[in-house]
Formats: sequence, C-alpha cells, structure tokens
Amino acid sequence: MTQTKIKPVSHPFLLLLVLIAHSAMMLLVALSFGVTPEVVKLACIVLTSDFVGSIILQFVQREACTVDTVLLLVLGMSTIYQSCFGGLEFATKHFAFGVGAFLMCQASYVVTRNPYRAERLKPLWYVLFFVLIAAIRFLTGSRGLWIDLGFITIQPSEFVKPVFVLICASSIRTQLKKSSLLGIHFVPDNLLVILCTGVIAVLQWWCRDLGSLPTFLAVAGFAFLLRFCYLREKISVRLMVFLILCVCAAAVFAWKMAPAYVQERLHSDIWADMSGTGYQQVKALTAIAEGGWFGKGAGNGSLVHVAASRTDIVFSTICEEWGLFTAMMTVILVLFLPASILTVPPRSYYHSGLAVGVAAVFMVQMTLNIFGSCNLIPFTGVTIPFISQGGSSMLASGILAGFLKAAQAPVLTDRSAVKGGK
Amino acid sequence: MDLTPLFEQYPFLREAATAFVVIFVDICALVILLAAGRERRRGDRGWAQESRGYMLACEGTLYPLGAAEILIGRHPAADIRFSDTEVSRFHALLCLSGGKWQIEDIGAQNGVLVNGRRIAKPCTLHQNDAIQIGKHRMTVVKGSGKGVIE
Amino acid sequence: MAKKQQKTRTNAPQLDISAPASMRRAGKWTALLLSCFLAALVYLGYTLISEAPLYMAKSGKTTYGTVCDRNGDVLFDGSQPLTNYAPGQFADVGNLIGDTSGQMSNTVVAKHLPELANYSFTYGNEAGSASLTTTLSHAANRAVYYAFGEKNGAAIAYNWKTGEILVCVSRPCVDIAQGYANLENMAPGSLLCKAFFPTVPGSTQKVSTLLAAYESAGVQAVNALEYTCEGKWTNAGGDTINCHQIYGHGTQNLLQGFENSCNPYFAQLVQSGIVPLSSIIGTYTRMGYSVNGQKANPLNLDGITISPASTRLSDPQNFETQWGALGQGKTLVSPYQLMLWQGAIANGTGSAVQPYLVSKKTSPTGETVDIAFHGSTPQMFTPAAAQGVKEIETQNAADHYYVSFDGYNCGCKSGTAQVNDNGREYENSLLAGFCLDDRAPVAFCILIEERNSWDVSTAQIAKVLLDNVSGICNE
Repeated sequence: MTQTKIKPVSHPFLLLLVLIAHSAMMLLVALSFGVTPEVVKLACIVLTSDFVGSIILQFVQREACTVDTVLLLVLGMSTIYQSCFGGLEFATKHFAFGVGAFLMCQASYVVTRNPYRAERLKPLWYVLFFVLIAAIRFLTGSRGLWIDLGFITIQPSEFVKPVFVLICASSIRTQLKKSSLLGIHFVPDNLLVILCTGVIAVLQWWCRDLGSLPTFLAVAGFAFLLRFCYLREKISVRLMVFLILCVCAAAVFAWKMAPAYVQERLHSDIWADMSGTGYQQVKALTAIAEGGWFGKGAGNGSLVHVAASRTDIVFSTICEEWGLFTAMMTVILVLFLPASILTVPPRSYYHSGLAVGVAAVFMVQMTLNIFGSCNLIPFTGVTIPFISQGGSSMLASGILAGFLKAAQAPVLTDRSAVKGGK
Repeated sequence: MDLTPLFEQYPFLREAATAFVVIFVDICALVILLAAGRERRRGDRGWAQESRGYMLACEGTLYPLGAAEILIGRHPAADIRFSDTEVSRFHALLCLSGGKWQIEDIGAQNGVLVNGRRIAKPCTLHQNDAIQIGKHRMTVVKGSGKGVIE
Repeated sequence: MAKKQQKTRTNAPQLDISAPASMRRAGKWTALLLSCFLAALVYLGYTLISEAPLYMAKSGKTTYGTVCDRNGDVLFDGSQPLTNYAPGQFADVGNLIGDTSGQMSNTVVAKHLPELANYSFTYGNEAGSASLTTTLSHAANRAVYYAFGEKNGAAIAYNWKTGEILVCVSRPCVDIAQGYANLENMAPGSLLCKAFFPTVPGSTQKVSTLLAAYESAGVQAVNALEYTCEGKWTNAGGDTINCHQIYGHGTQNLLQGFENSCNPYFAQLVQSGIVPLSSIIGTYTRMGYSVNGQKANPLNLDGITISPASTRLSDPQNFETQWGALGQGKTLVSPYQLMLWQGAIANGTGSAVQPYLVSKKTSPTGETVDIAFHGSTPQMFTPAAAQGVKEIETQNAADHYYVSFDGYNCGCKSGTAQVNDNGREYENSLLAGFCLDDRAPVAFCILIEERNSWDVSTAQIAKVLLDNVSGICNE
C-alpha cells in the first residue's frame, strides 16, 4: 500500500501572518508608550508564545490550521489588550490562562476527534455534568457561582458549558434508539438532554444569576433543531408555528415570572440613574463615544477604573483605547472560529452537533455581553470568549475551540489499530 | 523614542497609525481565512484517505460516501434516498469506523441483503460487494482520485 | 496524472467525496446564527455612532447646541446657562421648544437630543456647535403670547402654502430660564403645549360636519336645506338640544345656520338622513378622527406627537351622536388638527400642506441640512367640499368679523366649548380660520380657556397674530 502524500498548508506562512499582525499591534503600543522595558517584555512574550504555540501544533495535529491560527491570533491580541488597559502592565494571569486555553483546545481535540469514541463516553459527560452541578450547589459560597480555593477562584458554571455541548450533540444512531415506558415511545438521549436543561434552569434560578441561562437554552434549542432535521419528514408549517408559539409563551412566562432584580434590569432607564444601577453602562457608552473610530490610543483609557472593565464591559474598554473599528474587527475575528465549519464541513452527526453547539455558545455569549453593555438588551455578567479576563471562561472557551477543531479534522481510524493490522 | 508630543501636535497621526495597523491585522486575518479554503481541499483528500475512496453505484447513479454515517431510507433527511414504499423510512446505516465501512440494518421491514444474504448484525463491506435494499441493487465501487489509498 | 490513472484503472469512476446534505445542515444553522449576529452588529454600530453625541451630552462631557427661530433669535441654548439671557426670553416657547432637563418629553429639544449634542463620533469634541433652526417667528410668537393677557389657552398658526409653523403658544408656560425649583407651585399645564392636546372643539366642529354633508349630498343641495330653530329642539329620542339664542333663529338656510352657529339646525341636519351617518364617519375617519374607539394614526410634527381627534357617533337619532357632531360631549380635537383642516380648506384641495417646525439642522461639524418641504397630508375631503366650506367661512368672516379682521381677507368659524373638568364646568372659546391674503397666507386656531364676555376675544388675538405674521411669510 502506498499513500499519496497530503501537502500541508505551510505552517510557517500562517505563523508569519500571526507574527506580523501582533508586531503591528505592538508597534502601535510602542507609539503610545515609547520603547520601554515593559513594552519590550510584552512584545517578547507575545511573539515567543506564537512561536512556541505553532511548534506544539506540529506535534499534536497538523490539520485544522484555521482554528489554531485564529486562536493564536486572538489570544495574542487579547493579551495585548488586557496588558494595555489604563497603562502598561503585563497581564500575567490573563496570559497564563490564554496558554491554558490553547493547551485545553489541543487536549479536547484529542478527546473528541473520534466522534464514535466521544459519543461512547457520553455517560462520563453526564457524570461530569452532575459533578459540576453538585459543585455549584454545594461548594460555592452564598449562592454565588465561585469556588474560592484561596489562591484561585474557579467558576464551575463555565465548565458546564462544554460538557453541556458534549451532552447535547447526538448522532443519528442514538436518535434511532427508542425506549418505551407505559406505552409512550421516547428517545432516552432526548429525555436526558431535557432533564439536564431543566436542572441547569433550576440551578440558575436558585443562584439568582440568570445571566448564562440563555447560553444553555440556545445550545439545547439548536440541538433539538438538528434532531428535528434528522427525524422529521420535514419541518411542517404547523410544527414551526407550534415551536414559535412555544418559544413565545416561554418568553412571556419568563418575563412575567422573572425575579424582581431581573424585572428591574428589564425596565430600568440607565440615564435616569447614572450613578446607581446604570453606572457601568453609562460609563461604557460614554467611553465608546469618546473612543470614536480609532480610539484614544493604547493605555489612554479611563474606563479601567470602572468595575468589570476587563470582563463584562470589555468591548467598551477596547472601543475606548483602540476604537470602535478595531473592537468590531476583534469580535468578527472571534467569529472566524465557529465560522470555520463553513469551509470544512464536519463528517459525522456528532461533530456537526458539537460545532453548532459551540457556535451557539460563542454567539449568545458575545451577544449578551456586547449588546448588554451597550444597553440594547438587559445587562448580564457574561464574558466574550478569549477576550474577557477570567480563567474559567478562558479555559472553557479553549475546550469549545477544541470541539471545532475536532469537527474540522476528524480521526475515525484508530491509528494504533491500523499499525497493528499492518 | 517618545512620540507623545508629536501625537499631541498632530492628532490625526495617531489615527492614521491605528487605522493602518487595524487594516493590516484584518488583512492577516483574511489571508488566514483564505488559507482555510485551501484546507478544505486538504480536508477532502484526508477524507478520501479515511473513507478508502468507496462509493455506492446504483442504477447508473454514483452515491459519494462523504460522511462517517450515511443514512439510507425513504426519509427526506436520508443522504441516499429511495422514494418507493418497499424501502423503510430509516432502512440502513452505512458507518465508517476503524477504516472499514459497515452496513447495518436499522429496523428495515424488508431487510438489507449483502451479496444475497440478509444481514442480522453489522456487516463489513468490501469492493464489489452487492447490496440490495428493497428492489434497489447497489455495488460498492472504489473511486479513483487524489488521496486514495491504492 | 489523470491520464496515467485512466490507463491503469480504466473502469474506476472519478472519486467524489463531497460532504452530503445532512452534514451541510450544521453549516446552514451556523451561517444563520452568524448572519443574525453580524446584522445585529451592524445595527449596534449604527446606533452607537448616531447616539454617541447623546451619550457624551448626557454624561456631561459635552454641551448641547442652540435652537433658533427663523431670524436667528435664540429659543434654547444648551451651551451656557439660560440665565445669561434677558428675562422672559424663553417665556413664550418653553413648553414647545423645551430643554434638556428631561422634565418635558414631547418638545423640539427632547425629540432632537442626539442632533443637538455638540459631539461628533468622527471628529470628537472640538467640532463646532450644533443647532436647529425653526420656522417660528419669535417676535410674532411673543406678541400673541402677551395678547392673551391673563387668560390661558393656546394659539397655533402655519403658512398653508409652505407648511411653516409661524406661531405656536400655550399658556401657562414654564420659563425654562427659571428652572424647576418651584415645580409644585407651577400652574397646571405649564409643561405641555396645549396646541397638541385634544380639547372640546365646540362649534368649530360644525366645519367637520359640514364637510361631511357637502361630501355626501353635494354643496348645492346642502346649501338649500332649511330648518327651523325655536330656541330649542327635541330630537327623535326625546332629548332636547338648546340653542344659544333662546328665542330661536326661525327658519334658516345653511349659511344662516352656520353664521348663527345654530345647534338645532345642525342637529336636524344630522338626524334628517340626508347625510347618512356612515358617510359622516367616513369623512371624519379620513380627516383623522378616531371614531367610536377605532385606532387613528397619531400625527407627527418633527418628532412631536399629537394625539388624534376622537368622537363617538352611533345613531343619527341619538342625542350623543348629534351632540358629538356639534362638537360637544365626547368629541375632542387638538388646535393643531383644527388648524390643519383650515389649511386644507384654504387651499381648496382637501389636502393640507404638511406643517413643519424644524427648517434647518446644523451638525456639530457645521454641515447644514435644509428641510424645506414635507409634502402634503393624505386627501382628507373632496376639493368641492373644501371650496364650499371656504366660501361659507369667508362669508361668515365678512358678515361677522369685518371689524376684527379689518383689512384681511379671512374665513373662520368660532366655537364655544362646554367643558366639564372633573365636575368644574366652564366654557372655552375657540376660533379656527384662515387668511387668504398674500401677505399672510396662514391657517390658525386660537383657544381661550374659561373666557368671560368681558375678556379678550379670540378674534382680537387672531388680529394680533395676522398683524405680526404679515410680511414675514414671503421672506
């Protein structure tokens, strides 16, 4: 047997592009701050990590360059942003978690690249899911979402996201396995997904933090949309109307039943209470206006003194220092990740389920963050993947990116088995 | 090298520099995206290798096996679809695993015949195997092209 | 390469490994999500850029610009304390032009906040000064305001040829230079412009009823109708409709009934069936009334919303219906809308030139946008009906307001509205009309609240208005 050789996309070429992009940004930082040791340090670390990152890639898997290269580019940019907010100081923690996210991406790729194996491991995902839920219920202090380990705080709810995506994806074979109880036929997998969604909803209600509920609902919603596509003759108009009505009814019910603090957010006029509840958003919007198209220059922002300037309103912070144009482009760059499955379609049902789930998580998170901080929708405390500061969310996003990579470059053959066969 | 006074004197300089850098970064991103287009061809070839270049020939039509799971049946969501009632809605599933294509009967009323025998459990397919689903006869053929294991 | 392969494996088909439709479905959903998000992002960008000046102004990082009248006289200035201006500078326009305090939401300033803020997303804070130029004549406005004396009310007038609002006053009026420290002690109604709020129209409503009659029965036929008034008249339902002339007007034709503003005449016209109720409702609806709770489109004057007129018409035999068609009871019309109809009568077409208040917008960067023409309203009534009413109104003015409108070729209809304000009953005086002279081609409506016979009359205020606007219309 001979094997025609696949010419790989030249890695050095893509690495060069990432390096050029980062160098250009560093040039801008140098223009703002002058060539100080701190600037040199930042430049060295970012550029070196690009090198090291691409070398690691050579060892793990040489396919799916888009996801990896975009990830490197975004992580470097995010490190530069976070280091420059309100004055230059290398964001060590952020960088460390960025590295962690990159490694997580590779790790989750290795775990999920074989869709059969990833689906076979579903019981494990369920166990993980309930372990995380139990951790949120019993380990987080005072109904918060954080576990304080002294030197570091972990937000288990962020890690629920990738696990939930793994649970929601499903192959057609699983969908055909039907059970029957008391004469009612059902697909156990679907029932479990509904159960998990319910558990999350109840938990979020209990935590009084409904911020990330839309993310989970979107993942579950798209998972069921894909399932309908698998198993329905076609999506009839009646079914569509029924689904839309269900969603509307649920929305109205949620609106009416929402706790007082949510109601307050839905109805509050931020300009009427500029120093109270509307403080962050007023500052954020004013900062965007002040930034204009091309910003005040790296390090010249004032938004850094406002709470959550590096997480919840990070879009405005970037707008202020780098300008609306850059901020929009950064957001679009993050979108390149889920968009990668448009160029290389997935090759199995489970992977396509993963890819849509990741796209839903990324897009809903970004929508809630950006549009919330700009006062178009209620303001919730969610993060922009890879851009916002926050270790747990960074690592979880890395895992999600790994799923995308798996959908891009699936490995269906157990390599060791083939070798043994030879 | 402190350029702050210069910028204060000519504020448009900073904006020009920023615009230049941002556009530059975007061009880099765009080129990476274009590289993804190339990756698609590479992904296709990788797939050809994974799937051993097998295709199904049926009554003059060639069905590509472009995914790890291919549903055969009367259902509109099936990738290989026959509309006559002898074929069940979900009839058979072609599945690629460990470098082998297997066919599996997934509750078909009239069964799946491989080389004339009705299969009860998943059956590995080889080149020139004959599959019968309802009245439709299919043959496993090997396509030729780049990336196929010879 | 292909040739070589064909040689070796001639019967092997060309390999096709494209992903099947089921796999592309995931891409479709992702593409849908992506395009939704990108569309929202574009919308966000647009919102941020257009509202950036507002954000800056509201958080105190930039100032607001000025609003001027047609001659450059300042009506509002956001760039400096309003107390820098002479006392009384804003006394007549406070509740129309408004300010940035947020106390009034239906004013010119409140509706143009982003355009007035002195900030440009592209050019930043150093950009010049934003301003709005209105069509008002501050001198005329002030003259009309003080012509009311101690009385409260409203007056609005616009050039029916071009659409420019020339005068719009509402008394009492907040003086924005004084601030809102004594908000509790302010006279009720100081913070809203009464010209835009529906009020009982009184006999000015007979114009609408006459328009409906002309439309359905024809001008000649209606002009020839004769009814008798004996001071009061009992309708088919047994209810009595009184005339203000308790000894009665005797037998009158339409012109006499109109000039006498005779309630029994018009009540009999409604009951007679010559004008079917359905056609009255049809005309009213086209004129913009909300009849019997039907939704009518709110009117809009450069962003300022004006509640539409409303009435109840159920049965031509019924007292409430007849009373409504006479402009009492449940009928409500804003002075703005009364003026608008007079504009459509004055030009004889049944469609008025759309009024406007803001004629020029200057952005902080100094770019000016002239807004000269706003088009016309939809056809509200037929040209024949408009011409008919124009003649009747002109005759009415010639016969009864010859002294008041000395030297002006006018047409008008007066009205006395019986208002029941939470049990307190009083009468308002109204006058809606138009002037056909080239020096003052205006349509107007004047409202004096709780007017007594010795107080200033609506016609006197109309004369002040005409004197002050004559000449400026053709500038």
